[in-house]
Amino acid sequence: MSGFLETMRCSECVDWGEKRNTIASVAAGVLFFTGWWIIIDAAVKYPQMEDFNHSYHACGVIATIAFLMINAVSNGQVRGDSYSEGCLGQTGARIWLFIGFMMAFGSLIASMWILFGGYVVKEKPLVYPGIAVFFQNAFIFFGGLVFKFGRTEDLWQ
Amino acid sequence: MAGIKALISLSFGGAIGLMFLMLGCALPQYNSQYWPLFVLFFYILSPIPYCIARRLVDETDATSNACKELAIFLTTGIVVSAFGLPIVFARAQLILWGACALVLTGNTVIFATILGFFLVFGSNDDFSWQQW
Repeated sequence: MSGFLETMRCSECVDWGEKRNTIASVAAGVLFFTGWWIIIDAAVKYPQMEDFNHSYHACGVIATIAFLMINAVSNGQVRGDSYSEGCLGQTGARIWLFIGFMMAFGSLIASMWILFGGYVVKEKPLVYPGIAVFFQNAFIFFGGLVFKFGRTEDLWQ
Repeated sequence: MAGIKALISLSFGGAIGLMFLMLGCALPQYNSQYWPLFVLFFYILSPIPYCIARRLVDETDATSNACKELAIFLTTGIVVSAFGLPIVFARAQLILWGACALVLTGNTVIFATILGFFLVFGSNDDFSWQQW
């Protein structure tokens, strides 16, 4: 019985180095779409305007646009070691990524603002929609980070 | 013959999964609500991104690819949606939680079957699955 687990060497039979991009993609997909389903759930449960102001959805939309912007440029383009120059080159990639991250952080901050300014401070009886908005943006934000930095571009060569 | 055996066992898995889904819909103690059938769209959509990416990317020496990783991301999204939809139905009191659990079990079996399809027929060339 003591030698039972010694024959299972998981780190050797599966090469995690080659699977890294796949695992990061799956993790990012789970985070991103779980975030959206949380807000769908809140919108289904609380369709009334006074419970859940519909303009709060803009926060998640901005986070999604930021997600797309962050992941549209590769790390190689920002460092400048890609083969092809785009229409704006390295500077354009850096500005694009800067704006993308700014929108990502902005939506995360705005979701916290909605949670506290819209629900906690007003002492509404229902806080769940605010928490849902916050969790949606946090999940999308971390999904973007995992999709951007969890993958390595060495495997593309 | 290995292909035939795998095909039969996979189709058995698919039938079991669909049985769980239909049980979640049709049992009279769950009020015979057929809303969970909408996850069938997710079953059909789930292999599509990876098939597109595999045809688009030429199989060279690279172990991975940005296009393939995007396809995996989208596939994960479809799978998560298939699990999220019945949970939202149950939370909206459209279906009961027992029906939701049956649908989730069916989801797990069906997606394991689809994954098994890709693992069995995606790698070996003699079945000529890749020529599609």
